[in-house]
Amino acid sequence: MKVPTRRPEEFLPLTPAMFHILLALADKERHGYHIMREVDERTSGSVKLGPGTLYGSIKRMMADGLIEELEERPDPELDDERRRYYRLTDFGFRVATAEAQRLEQMVRSARAKKLLPRAKAG
Amino acid sequence: MSNALSKDARFFVSIYTILLRAYPREFRREYGSQMVLLLLDCQRDARTAASRRRLWLRTLVDLIFTAPREHLNNIRKENKFMRNLRSDLVAIGGCVLIIALALFLLSYGRSHQVSSILLFGYVLDAIAFTGVVGNLIVFLLVKLTSLRPLRVALWTFLTVSIVPALAIVLIAGSDPKFNAPSVVIGYVVSFLFWYGLHALWSHKLRPSETT
Repeated sequence: MKVPTRRPEEFLPLTPAMFHILLALADKERHGYHIMREVDERTSGSVKLGPGTLYGSIKRMMADGLIEELEERPDPELDDERRRYYRLTDFGFRVATAEAQRLEQMVRSARAKKLLPRAKAG
Repeated sequence: MSNALSKDARFFVSIYTILLRAYPREFRREYGSQMVLLLLDCQRDARTAASRRRLWLRTLVDLIFTAPREHLNNIRKENKFMRNLRSDLVAIGGCVLIIALALFLLSYGRSHQVSSILLFGYVLDAIAFTGVVGNLIVFLLVKLTSLRPLRVALWTFLTVSIVPALAIVLIAGSDPKFNAPSVVIGYVVSFLFWYGLHALWSHKLRPSETT
């Protein structure tokens, strides 16, 4: 596995596709179609990743050490053996966290400028 | 989930398989089959003719935008490789030139009996030796590992300066003609010379590394 020598902040801002893929992989390993479905469901269909966008982003994120391919499929009995599964690396988790914090800061600024309503307590 | 695909869906998948040739070969080899598999899965999800048409349109638009992007990325990668190769060749050429100059001055100094007066020979001996060995080690370590170049240069030149200086002092120390301070000064100057040169290169290369 490639050991990243760069700081997470150097990858920011992430493209929307990359951030969505990192979010999809944050809780479990998934294959391409699962990632696409998860993004589609989480965004209520407003973000649809095409095959080129999905695998182009996967290629770049693997090269940067943000995600990695699993050597074994988690559920070989139930699944198509041609599928490749991906998971977040520790470094990818740090990059996703840094991007989430950056976005949170921007939302806070938007709230301060009254572009967004104040978040409800609790 | 049913594995049966409609005739038009199968037709679109075969068209898409042909259109994948728009991507660079390397990308196609790595991800082409996965992209077709993904499209097959999406086709199974699209139950109505309208949703299938939307899927095809989206897939074609995605291909139109992402295939040129992959080619562009490849071109950028090749440019980076050529830039690195050029800077490697300049660095190697520079080292060879400096070593050749050092050897020439060394032989000139010895033939004209000036080496013992000005520490000429000692310094140039050290520069030539640490230059050949040190630069070779630095070049290999930088190319084969992800270690930081300047740090590699620091530790390499420290090692190739201290070890031979100590070895010479230990081996020839008992000889009354042996000039230990000159040997030590020679290797200290040599270390400062080569490490200084690498620090200068590293400083000059830094802006282009961020691209």
